[in-house]
Amino acid sequence: MTADARRRPGIERALAAVAVIGGVLAVVAGSPTRPTRGSVDVTELARIVEHEEDHVTAVELARWIRDDKPRLRVLDIRADSEFDDFHIPGATRVPLAEIARMPLDSAATYVLYSEGGTHAAQGWFLLRARGVKNVFFLRGGLYEWLEQVMNPHVASMTPQAQRDSIRSLTLWFGGKMTVVDSASTVPSALDRELSAPHKSDARESIRKIRRRAC
Amino acid sequence: MMAPLYEFGRFGDSASLVVAVLLGIAFGWFLEQGGMGNARKLSGQFYFTDLSVLKLMFSAIVTAMLGLFWLSWAGLLDLSRVYVPETFIAPQIVGGLVFGAGFATGGLCPGTSCVAAATGRKDGFALIAGMLAGVFVFGEAFPAIGHFADSTARGAWTLPQAFGLSYGTIVGGVVAVALGAFAGAEWLERRAERPARPMKVVA
Amino acid sequence: MSDVATTAAGQALGAAASSRADATTTTRIRVRRETAPYASPYLAGVGIGVVLLLAFVLMGRGLGASGAFSSVVAAAVNTAAPSHAAGNGFYTRYLSDGAVNPLRDWLVFEIIGVVIGGLASAVLAGRMRWTTERGAGITDRRRLVNAFVGGTAMGVGAKLARGCTSGLGLTGGATLSVGSWLFVIAAFVGAYAAAPLLRRAWR
Repeated sequence: MTADARRRPGIERALAAVAVIGGVLAVVAGSPTRPTRGSVDVTELARIVEHEEDHVTAVELARWIRDDKPRLRVLDIRADSEFDDFHIPGATRVPLAEIARMPLDSAATYVLYSEGGTHAAQGWFLLRARGVKNVFFLRGGLYEWLEQVMNPHVASMTPQAQRDSIRSLTLWFGGKMTVVDSASTVPSALDRELSAPHKSDARESIRKIRRRAC
Repeated sequence: MMAPLYEFGRFGDSASLVVAVLLGIAFGWFLEQGGMGNARKLSGQFYFTDLSVLKLMFSAIVTAMLGLFWLSWAGLLDLSRVYVPETFIAPQIVGGLVFGAGFATGGLCPGTSCVAAATGRKDGFALIAGMLAGVFVFGEAFPAIGHFADSTARGAWTLPQAFGLSYGTIVGGVVAVALGAFAGAEWLERRAERPARPMKVVA
Repeated sequence: MSDVATTAAGQALGAAASSRADATTTTRIRVRRETAPYASPYLAGVGIGVVLLLAFVLMGRGLGASGAFSSVVAAAVNTAAPSHAAGNGFYTRYLSDGAVNPLRDWLVFEIIGVVIGGLASAVLAGRMRWTTERGAGITDRRRLVNAFVGGTAMGVGAKLARGCTSGLGLTGGATLSVGSWLFVIAAFVGAYAAAPLLRRAWR
C-alpha cells in the first residue's frame, strides 16, 4: 500500500535534519520562555485603586460563590499547608510564581486572597500586568473572610432583614453568626484575640494565621 | 507577545469561525493528500504494512511542537495562553482503548471519516453515523458514568511537569523518539513489501 | 490514458487534449481522471503540523474533530427534547444556556472546512469515488456495519477521553499534555489488540 505514495527523500531528509537541530537546540535552551514582560497603564491602575475597583469585600465574594457566579476563579496564594488547614470554598491554590505563568481564561473573573491581603494585592498587580482585566483581591485577606463570613458579630440593633441576610450567608458556608449587645462596639478579630480567647475553629485559624507573616 | 492573536483580542468570534473553516480546509486537504481518507490505507497501520498514520501524525506533532517551543522562545507566542488539553488519567486511558478498538474496526477516525465521506466513500458516511450514535449513547449514559468521566483529573498537566525535566529536554526527546519511530516504520514496511514485491526499490 | 480530464471544468479551462507525456508544465488547474499517487505522509504530516501551529498562533487552541460531533448530537437532542437535554450534564456542555446556537461552534466550522479541503484535494487528484473501501475478504455490507460499529465505539471512547486523534493526538501531542499522550498510546494498544480479529476485513 505504501507504493501508492509519492516519496520525496530529499525534502524528507532535509526536514528531518531541521527537526534534529530544532530538538537538540531545544534541549540546550531548556525553557521555551525567556523573561516575561508585562506592561501596565500606571495612570489607569492608579485610578482603579483609588476608586477601590481593585478589591472585593469578603461578603461580596461570599455572595459570588454562593450564587455560583460563572467563571469565578478564587485563587489562594498562601503555602500548601495553610491551604489544607482552611481555604475559601472553591478556591484553588496558586503560588505567586505560578500567577506569573499560569494559563489565563480571558472570560474568567479572578479573585485572589492571602492571609492579610498584601500578597494578594501583589498578585493582583501581576495579573493586571499580564493583561487580565477582571481581577480583584480580598483586601482584608482571610482575616476578613473569617471575621465577616465565617464568624460575624452583628450588633443587635442591626435591622432584622440585614441580620437574616448575613445569617443565611454565614450558614451557607458553615459559619456561625453571633449577635452582640449593641452597648458594646463590635470587636475586631484582633480585639477578640487579645481579650478572652474562645475555642472556636475560626479563632484557632486566626491564631495560626497571625503567627505567620502576611 | 503577539500571539495567540485571538487571545489578545486581535479579532472577534465571527472572524474566528472564518479562521476555523480556513484551517479546516487546509487540514482536510493534507489529510486527503496523505491518503488518510482511505480506510484501507489507514488500516495498514495495524498490520504493519503501511505506517502512514504513524508517520503523518508524528510528523505533525513534531512540527507543531517545535513551532510552539521556538515561537515562544522568540517571544512571538505566549505559551501560557495556548490551550493544553486537560488530563483525566483513567477516562483517557479507558477511552483510548475503546477508541483504538473502534479505530481498527472502522478504519477511520472522526476527522478522516469526514474526508472519506467528502470523497464519496460510503464507509465514511457509515462511520460518521456510528460516531453520532456513539456520542448519543455516551450522552444518555452520562448521568451514570459522568462521575468516572470526571475522575482522576490533573488539569493541564504536561510531560515536562510529569517527568521533572525541562520543556526543551522533552521536546528533544520527542524528536528523537519520532525519528526512531520513522526508521522503524521504514524497516517494517520494507519487510512487509519484500515477499510481494521483491524488486521494489524503496527510496 | 489521457491525464487531462474531459470534464466541463477541463473544457472551460481550454485544456484541449494535451500531450500525455507531460501534464505538469502548464499552470492551469488540471482535474485528473485517474488516481494520482498520495503525497508523502511525512510531508502531509508536516503540512498538518503547520496548520496546527497556525491554529495555536491565531486562536490559542489546536485542531479537533470529535467535538463537532458532540455539538451536532447536543443540538439534535436539544431540538427534539429540550428539557431532557437541559437536565443532562453532558449535553449542557455544548448548549451554553441556549444563548448561542450549539452549531455555531469553532469545531463545527472547522469540520466543514475539512470536508471542503478533502473534497478539493480528491477532485484535483482524481481520487473521488463513490465506493466502499474494504478488503476483498468481506462484503460491502459487512464493511459498512463494521464502520458503523467502529464509529460508535470511537464516539464513546472519544467522549470519555474528551477528544480524539485530532484533538488529543495532534493538539495534545504538540502541547505535551500527559493525558493526550496516554490516550494515543492506549488507542494504539486498543487498535493493535483488535486488529487481528479483523484481518479478513482488510485483505
